[in-house]
Parts: sequence; structure tokens; C-alpha cells
Amino acid sequence: MSELIDTFELNAMQAAAEVRRIPATPDAIRSKIEHECKGAASLVLGACEFLPTGLMESLGNLPGMLSAPTDEQLTTADVGICGAFAGVASTGSVCVAMGPPLVTMASLLMPHHILLLPADRIVARPRDLFDANCFNGEGLERNLVFITGPSATADMGPLVRGVHGPHRLTILLLE
Amino acid sequence: MMPSAQPSKDISPRSVANKSDKTKLLDAIRMALEIQSPTIRRNTQGFNRSRYRATSLLPDYESLKDETRRIKEDSIGRLPELVERLRATLEARGAHFLLAPTAEDACRYIRTVCVRHGARLVVKGKSITTEEIRLNHVLEAAGVEVAESDLAEFILQVADEQPSHFLAPAIHYSRERITALFKRKFHTELRLESGEELTRFAREILRQKFLRADVGITGANLIAADAGTLMLVESEGNIRMSSVVPPVHIAVVGIEKIIPTRKEMAPFLELLAASATGQMLSSYTSFLSPPIDDVSFALPGMPRKNREFHLVLIDNGRLRMRDDPVLREALYCVRCSACLNSCANFQTVGGHAFGGETYSGGIGGSWEAGTGKLENARFSELCTGCSRCVNQCPVRIDIPWLNENLRNRLNREAGVSILGGTLTTLTSAPEADEQSPASKLFFGNYHWFAEWGSRFPQITNRLGNAKMSRWLLERLFGLDRRRALPAFPQTTLVATAAQEFPHPIARPVARAVLFADIFTNCGIVSRGLSALRVLRALHVDVAVTDSIPEGRAALSQGLIATATEYAQRAASLLDHSIERGRDVIIVEPSSLAMFRRDARHLLEDRQQFERLRARTFETVEYVVRLVHDLGKDPNSVFDIERSPVGKRLFYHSHCQQKTIGAAGPTEELLRQIGFDLECSSVECCGMAGSFGYKKDFYELSMAVGEDLFEQVREAERTGGSCALIASGTSCTEQLHAGLHREVLHPIELLAAILRD
Repeated sequence: MSELIDTFELNAMQAAAEVRRIPATPDAIRSKIEHECKGAASLVLGACEFLPTGLMESLGNLPGMLSAPTDEQLTTADVGICGAFAGVASTGSVCVAMGPPLVTMASLLMPHHILLLPADRIVARPRDLFDANCFNGEGLERNLVFITGPSATADMGPLVRGVHGPHRLTILLLE
Repeated sequence: MMPSAQPSKDISPRSVANKSDKTKLLDAIRMALEIQSPTIRRNTQGFNRSRYRATSLLPDYESLKDETRRIKEDSIGRLPELVERLRATLEARGAHFLLAPTAEDACRYIRTVCVRHGARLVVKGKSITTEEIRLNHVLEAAGVEVAESDLAEFILQVADEQPSHFLAPAIHYSRERITALFKRKFHTELRLESGEELTRFAREILRQKFLRADVGITGANLIAADAGTLMLVESEGNIRMSSVVPPVHIAVVGIEKIIPTRKEMAPFLELLAASATGQMLSSYTSFLSPPIDDVSFALPGMPRKNREFHLVLIDNGRLRMRDDPVLREALYCVRCSACLNSCANFQTVGGHAFGGETYSGGIGGSWEAGTGKLENARFSELCTGCSRCVNQCPVRIDIPWLNENLRNRLNREAGVSILGGTLTTLTSAPEADEQSPASKLFFGNYHWFAEWGSRFPQITNRLGNAKMSRWLLERLFGLDRRRALPAFPQTTLVATAAQEFPHPIARPVARAVLFADIFTNCGIVSRGLSALRVLRALHVDVAVTDSIPEGRAALSQGLIATATEYAQRAASLLDHSIERGRDVIIVEPSSLAMFRRDARHLLEDRQQFERLRARTFETVEYVVRLVHDLGKDPNSVFDIERSPVGKRLFYHSHCQQKTIGAAGPTEELLRQIGFDLECSSVECCGMAGSFGYKKDFYELSMAVGEDLFEQVREAERTGGSCALIASGTSCTEQLHAGLHREVLHPIELLAAILRD
């Protein structure tokens, strides 16, 4: 298991994501997010359906957190935070399951995206999520996006990170 | 046909998009070489290197390819059933479904949906299929603004150009040219001097479009019939924006993208990005089963609507392709662009020259022919059949074979000429190919000329270099005057071998025949003699076959009937030896490739092909096997101290030799013997058999060769001078033309350093 986590961390960093390994406690999560969001004026919190309840409770009153953002507020917020469906070790990808409130927009519209990924939801390779025995077969049912690093382009000549999607991707790996 | 005298700076990409007229192809090549080539080279070669690296990290790369191939074969086989299944799936979910027989049907439907929603603005994710159906024009004519949101498509929309690559449609644009374009078109004072500044500029324009768009249009990489799931691969986020932000999402998808189940998307997910950009995954791969149940997004003043999804499945010739035994293969294409990036010609001129109005590269000809007219595939002439793309294709499409067939069909358009008829009669080639252009018949039946030339070498060699005959060869057969012709030998390999080696080997360790391929028998005879010397020194009983064509040259000209006849005849000859317990050794890599690869399309007897494939060997490959099987140390057979060319070598293996896996043994052996070996990493030398000899393609061939020449110069700058070693005849000629140096075949070097 720890080998899978190490591989994930290495590959995610190679894809230009930032990985922070932290303990899966409410205090650690809150203080890490606060630290990562320093200087950000407004934050959006999407659902974190695969995290134990209780872990997220303390996030609602983080400075700058929009409690029920309007669509217009979503377009100007600085940071989007949401929970991951799974991590993929061989590619360093994080898979997000869309559907629950604000997950789609929190993972797309803001320049900085923070993902919460429980270490026990890391699989070895992408195709594992298409196995009916993996996570109750939810990978075959849900609307998913595999996110591998921040959005990027080479269309303007050199490689540029940060195009239409987030410019910065921070993965909080919860152990 | 002469190229127009138009200066290439005045040739716009759009004006040469349709290449049904050959002058357009030649103009496009000139334009690309003069303006686009350095940028295309840098970008495609970057993708190419990344792909080799990424696929080498996939532990089951080969079996993944088998898996995707099987799924695509199954899907295209069951296509009508899958279409109905998908329709039922989507309609049950409240999505709209249209199977559009033609481009016009698709455009009309999409326009109607837009008009019904009162749409003023449509955002589009990158979709080559909507380029094919010319959707933008139709929407714009209906008063709908269309915003291309992929940055490359954004550039092309501003420049009004067609895509030059599947994956990176503006791959021919350097950063400097984008800056100039934006400054000119947007009249901006902004400093757009870096990739970041240009990206920010486009992003800010497009962000407002995403948020205000009434309709988002995307393509799809695949769609699953059981779940109605779209697979969408991208790196910028514009496809996510286009599919989840506007209230209406229209996916325009070629009918060939349907696969039976969502579960079967897994191997494609793992293979696609590695084959395409050379990443393990690109930034975003979405699996969406729309309409998605998120609430619709609406800025103040915009109506909040229920989400709506339309799938527009495009036929537009695809079902006809499905019934065509050759073009059916093209339906397996997943548009990863590995065949573009691994193609030496494509790397040099890109898709505005090596491409049509929508599709480009090796696979592009079949798509232009399938969705349009056969003549639109004329650019597929730039496929030299080097075969470097074959192992790169994630669905194992034999792209050269498709292009040889397109060439065959195009050859038949012209009708029989007097010269063509005469050539067919003289060479006794099958009449089925006699209406082909004289140039094709000449190169495809080169063996006939070589055999005659070798009968009277003093006369033919002098004639071959006389101005008058070069002029005539150029006029009649398109053989470029600037190319030196290979000299015919004083005596052929077949004749010399019998004199030099009259006695059989006593107590042989193996028995073999050396196939007297035309380029060795009537060309560089010393390669054949060296092979015999080395093999005899290893106690191989080796006989030399009659010299007959194996059909590789004919195949490359699209003379399929001729190639079939020649291949079958040569296969029987060699099979006869194999049945008598002899292995087959072949010097010329392209001749070997016929028996190891191409002949599977031409031989009726599958088992005969399998026998030939298993028992034919490249000369040095055979030597390496033998040395290994005999448990010998190569240094007990060869002595590097005897090398007449020093100890430092630059080795260029032949393109087809690399594809069939017969290049590695030469490199391995030369290193074991102790040579300081540099190897070329180019995909092809640019000569590619007859390609570089053709007047129409001389400049392109030399431009491709420049990469190889530069690698030699670089190796010599950094590590000292090298002797040049090459395995193919045409590579040898190309190296000689570019560097004016002698080039040895590895077997010639090995023969020279045999211990007593």
C-alpha cells in the first residue's frame, strides 16, 4: 500500500501537481487548506462524498469560504476545493466523480484546485476503476474526470500550464 | 505536370487544401518547406520522442494494442446493432439522437437546434469531425457566432486555415508567427511575446465565451453503446467547459467511435495519451453520460435552463468505408496521431502538404477518400511505405498497405498510355496494372531495367550518366536528374558467386540460401559476396538463388497485381528451399520486409507466409543467431584490429528493417566486437526506395535526409570522425548524396575483419 502511495506521489508531481501528505484529521486538513489558501479572497467548497463525515465540518467557516455561492461568484472565486473519487498511481491522476453539489465547478472554474484524496482510495492503474469489483463498480456508473496535473497547452509554442482549467493543482493526500 | 511559378509565400494553406490536382500538392510541399518546416519538425519530433518514452513505460503495451484492436474490429463488425443500442440507451435517458447520413444532414440538424434555442453564441471544443462536415460555415450563415476554444483551433479560426495535425491542429505555427498573427488580427498593443502572454490573451477572450455560450459543441474520442458514455480527452479544459457549462451540449461523433461497452474504454484510456502526446494521461480525460444532472449554470440575466444533450452521429461515407475491405481498416483509427509523428515526411512538411481539407498524414488519405472523393487522397503519395508508423499505431492499422491500395486505385484513373502499355509488354508485368502512370511502371519494374543494364554495364553506366539520357529519364519516368544513378556491376552476384565459391562447405553447421535481391545482384554485389564469405567462415552451406523480383518495388508504386505475382513467384522459390531445410538470408532490408511483413496481404497461402516469416533473416541478424547458437564469442570470429575503417562507426539502419525488428542485432554485434558505435535515430533517411529519385519529391527527400546528415555531423563534432555504415541500398545512396562519403554495408565490414 505504501508503495502505491509513493508511486502516486511521484507521478502526480511529475505531472506538475503539488502533493501534500497529511494525517486524515480535521485539524490537519483545516490548517493545511488555510495555509495553501493564504492570500486567496474567496474559496468554494464542493462535496467530499468519499471522506469520512466529520473530517469536513470545520472547513465551512474557513476565512473567505463562500457558503452558498452564486454562479457569478463561482466565476471570480480563487480556490475550488473538493473530494476525490480515487487516485491512480501509475499516472499520478486524481479521478473526480461529478454530480454532487459544486464538484464540477470547483474542479474546473477556479485558478487553484485543491483535491482531498484518502490514501486508501489509490488504485494501481487507470483501468482498475473500470472493474466492477472496485469501489462497488461506481467507476462504471458515475460521470468521471481523470485529472492529471493542471490544465496545460503547447499550442502557443512552449508548454504553458494554466489554460481554461485550473492553473495549479494541489492534492492533499490523507493518510 | 509542372508546379506553378507562384512564389510560395503567396500560397495560402486553404488554397492548397484540396489536392485532387497534383500541382496543389507540389505547391503545398514548397510552401511547407519554406515556411512551416522548422516548427513542424520540432513539434512532431518532440511528440515522437515522448511517445517512445511513454509507451516503453507501459508494461503491457503490446497486449493493450491487441485488446484495442479486438474491440475496434468487434465494434465495426457489429456497428448497425451498436447504433441501435446506443440510440435506445440515450433516448431512455432523455437525450436526443440523430444518425446523420451526410454532412449536410448533420449541419442542418445542429443549426435547427441552435435556432430553436435562440442561440447567439456556440463554443466548440476541438473536433476534427466538425471540420469534416464544415459546421462552422453553416452556423455562421445562420447568424450564430462560433467560438473555437481549443487554443490551436482558436489560432486557425483567426488565421482561416485548415488543421495540419489531428492532435495539435496548429502544429505548424511557431510562437513568433502566432504573435504576429494576433497583433495583426486583434490590433492589440499588448506585449504578446511569450507562450504565457499569448495563452492569457486567448484565455481571457474565451472565458467570457464559455460563460455566455448558449450551446457547447464537442466531439468524442469514443462513445459506449451500453451506457451512452462519451470519452473526452484533452489538456486545456476547453472540452470540459464546452460540455458542462452551457445548458445545451451537442456531441458530434463519427459513427466509427461507438464501442459496445463503457468497460471496454479502459484499454483506450491507458493507450491513447501515451500514443498521442506521450503523456501517461493528458490533463483531463472525462467520462460523461449526458445529460449530466448538475444544475445548469447561469450568469445574471441569462435564463436557467434544463440541461439538454444531443448526439449527432455522423455517417458521411463511413458505412461505405465499412463495406470496403481496405478502407474499413481506417475506421479503427482513434486519431492519436502516432502515425503522423513517426513519419519522416510528415515531420518535415506537416499536414498542409501531407494532408487534405480535413485529414492528414499516413492515415489521412483513406479518410479523405472515404468521406469525400478518391482524388482528394492524392497527397497520400507522400507515404513512402517506410512502415515506421506500423508499430506505433495503437489499433495496429497497416497504414502503408492502405496507401498502396489508394495508389493502386489512383493509378487506374489515367487510362493506358502508349508508354505504359509498352513498358508492361517489355517487362512482362501483369496487364492488370498497365494503365498505371509510366513512372510507376518504371520504378515498380526496376528489376527489368537493372537486369538489362547489368548485361552491358560499360554501355549502360555511361549512358546512365549522359545528359541526354538523364533528360529523357526525367521526362519519361520522372527520375530526377540531380540524383546519381546506382552503377550496374561488371558481373552480377549470381555469376560471381559461382566462380568465387565453386566448392561446397564440408560438414556444415547450417544450410541456407542467399536470396539474390535485385539491389545486391545488379547493384552492390560486394554486399552479397561479403555475406557469402562470412557465412562460409561460420561453416554455413549457402547457395545463391536465381535473381527474381520479390514485388516490394511494385507494391510501393501501388502496382498490386504486379506485386502479387512477383511475391508469389519469389515465395515459391524460397519456400522450396525452406522445405529442403534451408534458411533464407536476404541482404536488402526492403526485400526482407516483403517476406516478413508485406506478403501477408499478397500470398494466398497463410501458412506459406508464416513459414517465410519465420525462416527469412537479415544477413547480420542471421550471423548473430548463428554465433549465439554455436556458443561462440563474436571476438573469436571477428577481429576489430583488422578494421579498414577504424573503430568508430556511425550506423544507419533501414526503416523497414527497424519495423520488422531486424536492426538491433547489427548494433549489438558491432558493439560486442568493440566498435565505438553511434546510431541514427531518424525514422527514415528520406530516400525510401524510389521516393527520393522522383523529380516531384527530390527537395522533400533531401530535406528529410538533412536530419540524418546532421546526426552524422553532430556525432563527429562530439566524438570524432566515424565511418558510415548503412544496411539499405537507398539509404546508402542518400548518405552518399548528402555527405559525399563512402558508405559500407555492415556485412562488408564484418567480412573485412574475419579472423583467418
